[in-house]
Amino acid sequence: MKVEKQSIVALLGGNGTGKSTILRAASGLIRSWKGTIEFNGEQIQNLPAHEIVGRGLVQVTQGKDVFPAMSVTENLKLGGFILKSKQQLLDNLEKVYNYFPRLNERKDQLAATLSGGELQMLCIGRGLMSNPKMIMLDEPSAALAPQIVLDIFKNINRIRQDGLTVLVVEQNVRMALLLADYGYVIKDGVINVEGDSKKLMYDESVKESYLGGTKANV
Amino acid sequence: MFNKLRIGKKGENIIFGTFVLIYIGWCVNSPDMNIESLKSVLTIGLSVGIIYGLVALGISLIYTGLDVVNFSHGEFFMIGAFAGLTMFNLLGNQDWIFNIFPDAYGWIIYVVCLFTAFVSMGLFGVFIERVFLRPLTKKGGGYTVAGMGIIICGFGLSVVLINVAYLIWNPVAKPFPAELGLPMEIGGLFLPITYIWMIVVGLSVAAGLWFFLNKTKMGLGIRAVAYSKDVSNLVGINVPLYISIIFGIACAIAGIGGTLVGPTYQVVVFMGYIILMKAFAAAVVGGFGNLPGAIVGGFTVGIFETASSFYISGSHKDLYAFLLMIVVLMIKPTGFFGVQVKMKA
Repeated sequence: MKVEKQSIVALLGGNGTGKSTILRAASGLIRSWKGTIEFNGEQIQNLPAHEIVGRGLVQVTQGKDVFPAMSVTENLKLGGFILKSKQQLLDNLEKVYNYFPRLNERKDQLAATLSGGELQMLCIGRGLMSNPKMIMLDEPSAALAPQIVLDIFKNINRIRQDGLTVLVVEQNVRMALLLADYGYVIKDGVINVEGDSKKLMYDESVKESYLGGTKANV
Repeated sequence: MFNKLRIGKKGENIIFGTFVLIYIGWCVNSPDMNIESLKSVLTIGLSVGIIYGLVALGISLIYTGLDVVNFSHGEFFMIGAFAGLTMFNLLGNQDWIFNIFPDAYGWIIYVVCLFTAFVSMGLFGVFIERVFLRPLTKKGGGYTVAGMGIIICGFGLSVVLINVAYLIWNPVAKPFPAELGLPMEIGGLFLPITYIWMIVVGLSVAAGLWFFLNKTKMGLGIRAVAYSKDVSNLVGINVPLYISIIFGIACAIAGIGGTLVGPTYQVVVFMGYIILMKAFAAAVVGGFGNLPGAIVGGFTVGIFETASSFYISGSHKDLYAFLLMIVVLMIKPTGFFGVQVKMKA
């Protein structure tokens, strides 16, 4: 599996097929048993998680993984924890508020009081705070209203246009393929189908692997 | 870590209030009750309470950060007292300090002792965490999963540390003759200066910790690690390092507590055990895992214990802290400052 620079790649698959596990391995939360993970030509599978963030590879968790007892600003500042200079932190804060004006309106509220869409924005914003080269989004559309999903996906596209590489893990196949340039479909932990997202959209086997894979032979 | 005061179920508060009223009535009926005795009960209660509070603060800090209860925390308190005493004995007969500061001689030495206890216990805590507790998490899952092993390791550490201290300093109780000046008069009451010292230093340490956790970058990281290790990893926090820092800070605070107690009571190898138990009661009363709650709980246990031994019966002094803990657990299980329910080992 490959993610080209400044592209959006979608990783699709049903429940329990190992999509999130791939992300967790890439961001160093779990160790891979075999195989290698390369980032910018450097093998990163044995680095501790915080150093991988320092290399510019950031995983954005689902919206529920924020720090509820902290304010929105504090949450975002945590995202920029690895930044050395304070000026850089403030600049990035400005940038994130620029992407998501809604967060600026609520910057002093506790994160626990935000709505689902705002939480997802907060998570993406937190991922952007550390000047990453590539972000990996774990189901940005989970449990959100279609309108908000559209809004978030527009922002993901904007993020890509600003020079970042994006890997999206999704269950919402249609939306993800509309957004992405290239897609991988994973089934039982193995990549089943891959291809240009426009092609995948009409590929029968994608539907199949979503519905469990086995066709009833009558 | 810092939750607002939980206005619990109304019934809980009413029953608890009734108990408090009955208790106050009992004390007021006592023949010893007068304004003088009340003043000394409050001072002694507060000064003992802040010590319980400081140790409880460490227990709560470790509980929020590492998800385990550290049962060897009393021994860090005891070794901290010995570290302060050792420094005191080193500096106590140095004439040059006396020549430079003839007026504030005793104070300066004592502050150096406190500082020594703080730093040495911090480093010792990091050492213990790295060498004895960290290997238990090797199998994966971090502290949350290795919890039960670490709790039992804490009991073992407690025994080992007591016996190591026994070998080094022998079991005789040692005086800590800090010269802090004459008793101070407050509101017609002459108080040994060490009591005031305990309250002032203890509260400053607690305030300093609050400032550290809320206003500094490292404090922000500590709060993040306390809430979720995974998400902290993902924002680039070096979680293993921060866990060591949390453990070190908790032990350093216990060390300060030990040195604060030294001049009032004596320094004994076995002083850690009972302090740990009472600090545990204080933490439960305040709300386990809540840091301001630990200090409030410490004050509550200290005053309750002192008042009861004064007005009810002095021969059961060590009973009251646990009595209060049981009552609080029965009526108001979350303590004064309830914390969110969280999966813990």
